Amino acid sequence: MSTSSNITTTQETPEMNAPDLHLLERPPQVLNNRGPLWVTDAVCSIVEGKTPLWWYAAIAFTGTFAAIGGACILYMICTGVGVWGSNSPCFWAWDITNFIFWVSMAHAGSLISALLFLTRQKWSLSISRAAEAMTVFAIVCAGVYPAIHIGRVWFVWFLFPVPNSYGMWPNFSSPLLWDVFAVTSYLTVSSLFWFAGMVPDLAVLRDRATTKIRKFAYGIVSLGWLGTARQWRHYEMMYVLLAGLTSVLVVTVTTIVASDCATSVVPGWHATIFPFYFMVGAVYSGSAAILTLLLPLRLIYPQLRDLITSSQLDKVCKLLLLMGSCVGYVYVFELFNAWYSANPFERGAFWERFTGSSAWYAITCLSINLTVPQLFWFKAVRRCLPLVFVLAILCNVGMWFERFMIVTSTLTHDFLPSSWKDFHPTIVDILTATGTLGIFFTLFLLFIRFVPIMSMNELKATLPGAQPHGDAGHSNHSTEAMR
Amino acid sequence: MSIHFQGHHLPIAGSKEEPLYALGARFETPEALVQAANRLRKEGVSLYECFTPYPIHGLAEGMRLPKSILSFLVLGGGVSAILIALSMQLIPSCIIYPLVVDGKPLDLLALPQYIPIVVALTLMIGAITAVTGMILLGGMPQWNNPMFAWDLFAKDASRGFFLAVEARDRKFSVSALTELLHELGAGDITAIHQEASEGK
Repeated sequence: MSTSSNITTTQETPEMNAPDLHLLERPPQVLNNRGPLWVTDAVCSIVEGKTPLWWYAAIAFTGTFAAIGGACILYMICTGVGVWGSNSPCFWAWDITNFIFWVSMAHAGSLISALLFLTRQKWSLSISRAAEAMTVFAIVCAGVYPAIHIGRVWFVWFLFPVPNSYGMWPNFSSPLLWDVFAVTSYLTVSSLFWFAGMVPDLAVLRDRATTKIRKFAYGIVSLGWLGTARQWRHYEMMYVLLAGLTSVLVVTVTTIVASDCATSVVPGWHATIFPFYFMVGAVYSGSAAILTLLLPLRLIYPQLRDLITSSQLDKVCKLLLLMGSCVGYVYVFELFNAWYSANPFERGAFWERFTGSSAWYAITCLSINLTVPQLFWFKAVRRCLPLVFVLAILCNVGMWFERFMIVTSTLTHDFLPSSWKDFHPTIVDILTATGTLGIFFTLFLLFIRFVPIMSMNELKATLPGAQPHGDAGHSNHSTEAMR
Repeated sequence: MSIHFQGHHLPIAGSKEEPLYALGARFETPEALVQAANRLRKEGVSLYECFTPYPIHGLAEGMRLPKSILSFLVLGGGVSAILIALSMQLIPSCIIYPLVVDGKPLDLLALPQYIPIVVALTLMIGAITAVTGMILLGGMPQWNNPMFAWDLFAKDASRGFFLAVEARDRKFSVSALTELLHELGAGDITAIHQEASEGK
């Protein structure tokens, strides 16, 4: 829809001012009529250029937090879980809060790359690789907690399906064991999805490599990809299959994680809405995280503005709005359910949540998650990217408080008022949590620097004139495989 | 290094002493490549391969490539994962070490409690099969290929549309193929020899 093919400077998409006639026309994947060569250069230049100074500064900063987090974990393992603020009756606190927070954030990445791929929502092409990377790194952060929260980590093999030294097998009906399988398979599948999708692009980096070390390294990881018609045939089939498997996995994993809470009989947790509650919350926080990651990238690398267009960001904002509204609905429904159940413990749990010692974070969570996403109804808000960035961070803060509220406020107020006890995080809790943030951003910085952050082959396949019938704009490249 | 051949300039890649591996050509557009692939098949050439930076519609059909069998492999992987996951849970729970809590059943009556792990394992093994299958069916991992002797290909495989006819093909003839490829609009037609192996 760009008016001129000779535009050399980066421009915003003009469709926002276009007359109504253009409303039905799909905005182009890549703005300003860029060709395949330009796409390759734009994406590869991020990896091939000299390492910028900000990158060193950033990774030193995030790496420090990651290292402190690692030291805290080591300290916890050597000393015991007593160094955390977890107590009786709040046996789960920041460990499970952060586990749920991270694993949930991972879901939007899978959803954007897999589900939107299957439904031929091609606007997600340029952001899907970064979204998948976010998924993998968030699961890595989530995976830190289940292993260490058991306290005596050397007994972690009790979670594996093998008999222990007494010949006793794990309890397969326990949601905690389901968790182990869910998280393991989620990490495996999303890493495979991410890596397999990257192989053709790694081969591009191999072909363009100028130094021996780069050629060797990218040569190894690209597995000898040549882009033959046979390879593409199997590759496309694999991509469709993986997208299908991942889409199912997203729903399964959230459901299982929600079952950790829902299958207990604790008031405030024992609700059938939990899987849906976790699912929408997951996509909501993940969409916000994608915006938080992509907007600075777009600022640092101006060439990406033609690839991550404002119309695509607009769609992510709308996804955020939809999921944020679902989250709001669940909050209201949960309160209604507590009242309608006529169960004094259920009612009491929610009354305590909003009036007791947990009120400050419960109210923080509700006030952020009920209002902030609603601002995205306004086009002016969605188009103002600095504001979107701030709101997206706020959404994630809100979601962290939601996880904290679900886990802690419920556990601190169980059936017996005499056993109620508040939770206060210790410095080890706090530094471990910031440590996972450090791990996440360190991994993301490495991702930006060493692998192509966008799927070049998918983008090139959709450029005008990329396909023999000139139908690139109308059908997905997986059409053949999907038949 | 190059030779002149029937009025055409035919460059040579790789080591001239080594056996000829293939005749390579480069096309400007995907249309030309699809057309050439179609034509070669009609001429009875079977050992040829097309190299593209992204999947091209109709190319595999033009080459008469069969549908990928990957979906069947994944189905097989998934079904075996279901069986593995069920026996992994049922055998310990019912036979080796029944963990009876509140007299709840552990056999197939309690099937729902075994489903989450079945689903997780099925998806995981399905995905592993899909990726391993793609790698192996695509002839990977292979860290060297005679095609890389051709500099133009090695540097430009990420953006050009290439075609190579292997010298093993029973219809292979440098003269006839060079003519045909020229006619189809190919450029940079090159005789690709294998590279001299180290140690010789």
